[in-house]
Amino acid sequence: MLERNKKYLQIAFNRTLEEIAVMINSLPLSDRIIIEAGYPLIKAYGTHAISEIKTIWEQRVFGYISGTSNISRMKSFRLQEISTPLIDLLLKSIKKEQKREIAKYKKVAFSPYIIADLKCMDRAFTEVEAVTSAGASAATCLGLAPIETINQFIKRCEEIGIDSMLDMMNVEYPFEILSKLIKPPTIVMLHRGVDEGEENREKEVPYHEIERIKSVYDDVLIAVAGGEIINEVITGVFNDADIIIVWRLFNENPEKITAITNEFLKELK
Amino acid sequence: MILKRRQKYLQIALNSTLDEARSIINQLPSSERILIEVGTPLIKIYGKRAISEIQNVVPEPEETYIVADTKCADLALREVSMAAEAEVQAVTCLGVAPIETIDRFIEECQKNKIDSMLDMMNVEDPVSVLKELKKPPDIVVLHRGVDETEFSKEKQIPFYQINQIKDNFDAFVSIAGGDTIDEVQRAILNGADIIVVWKAFYQSTAETTKLAEEFLKEIR
Repeated sequence: MLERNKKYLQIAFNRTLEEIAVMINSLPLSDRIIIEAGYPLIKAYGTHAISEIKTIWEQRVFGYISGTSNISRMKSFRLQEISTPLIDLLLKSIKKEQKREIAKYKKVAFSPYIIADLKCMDRAFTEVEAVTSAGASAATCLGLAPIETINQFIKRCEEIGIDSMLDMMNVEYPFEILSKLIKPPTIVMLHRGVDEGEENREKEVPYHEIERIKSVYDDVLIAVAGGEIINEVITGVFNDADIIIVWRLFNENPEKITAITNEFLKELK
Repeated sequence: MILKRRQKYLQIALNSTLDEARSIINQLPSSERILIEVGTPLIKIYGKRAISEIQNVVPEPEETYIVADTKCADLALREVSMAAEAEVQAVTCLGVAPIETIDRFIEECQKNKIDSMLDMMNVEDPVSVLKELKKPPDIVVLHRGVDETEFSKEKQIPFYQINQIKDNFDAFVSIAGGDTIDEVQRAILNGADIIVVWKAFYQSTAETTKLAEEFLKEIR
């Protein structure tokens, strides 16, 4: 689903769904943006977070705002509360019009890509199914999970038609894990955790692993997570990362999200 | 720690749907030795609503010990504060998580008066992880995962590690991944304090009450 030879910016969202709706609606339209439903967000809202975020981003991408999202519905109007047959008819015709608009935009717009940061550790089959039915385009599994889980995760993702992302947080030798798998994942994520980064400033994102992995697994895309400043993005791109994952800067400055995203996208060429 | 020393507990993990969970809870015998776990799949599917819905169905919410199996892997402060808001009695962190995360997790649990459970799934040598920590967790969970059990039948629950841990650390040991009466007996014989079961309680059946009673009888 992701194009090779293209660089992507993955934004992990972890605020409330209401705040995320505003943030996503402020994003510039770019097919190089990947939206991530963060792990804390999934734990707070369940798979509903994935479907809600997907709807909001789709509405943004297809140029259509007051649509089927619960949040948009809540915010836009409360016609349902005073429902009459006439209003029902009106709503139906609005929906038809909206569908036509979506079809029109679909021809020119890109397909929104949503990653569910599941951090699967066990029960891969059930977890992959749950996020896929919520509309995820990709899901994550921990590189520290049992090999049986990772193999099952990658297999089920492939069968069901979503991308598999293997999160190498706290894995000393990602290469060793990859060599034990029946098949590599679609994306390998090199990751310095938030707690690690804060407590242990000397821990670095292992950029040196990028080329090592790519030289053997040439089909695998590499994502790097844990760097938040523009210089780290430049380093990631310089080292041939395909996806740069950002979180803190974006979630802590929601009002500046348009400018920050544009600035990051500029570096990700 | 909230749990009583010298008492053995049965932890029933609810992993199917909220409807099944409600139905199972309604059939459980009343016992202070039963701990209710809101399983990871329930939390990932329903979010924190899974916890509140289960708290709403337990007959004595004030007396019931609820475990949120959140499997914290990062952002420990946020996860523990979410668990504290949900008013659970225990929350889990992965033993494979970065040491910084585990240390933060245990400290934050202690501040919030929640029991910390460290899940050692896929950790080869749990004692070496425990040695790296500033403080041990309240409960160490020795865990054989569901996928491991299904796809590598030869993988055994490391019962011998129970005493290794108890000899060196002031922590309860919980055993997860063995669902037969035989495995429960072996775990108890080896000194486990908590036995986690899920398979027998995945779906509510006419046997649910009897099964819980049988497990409780073995866990003494």
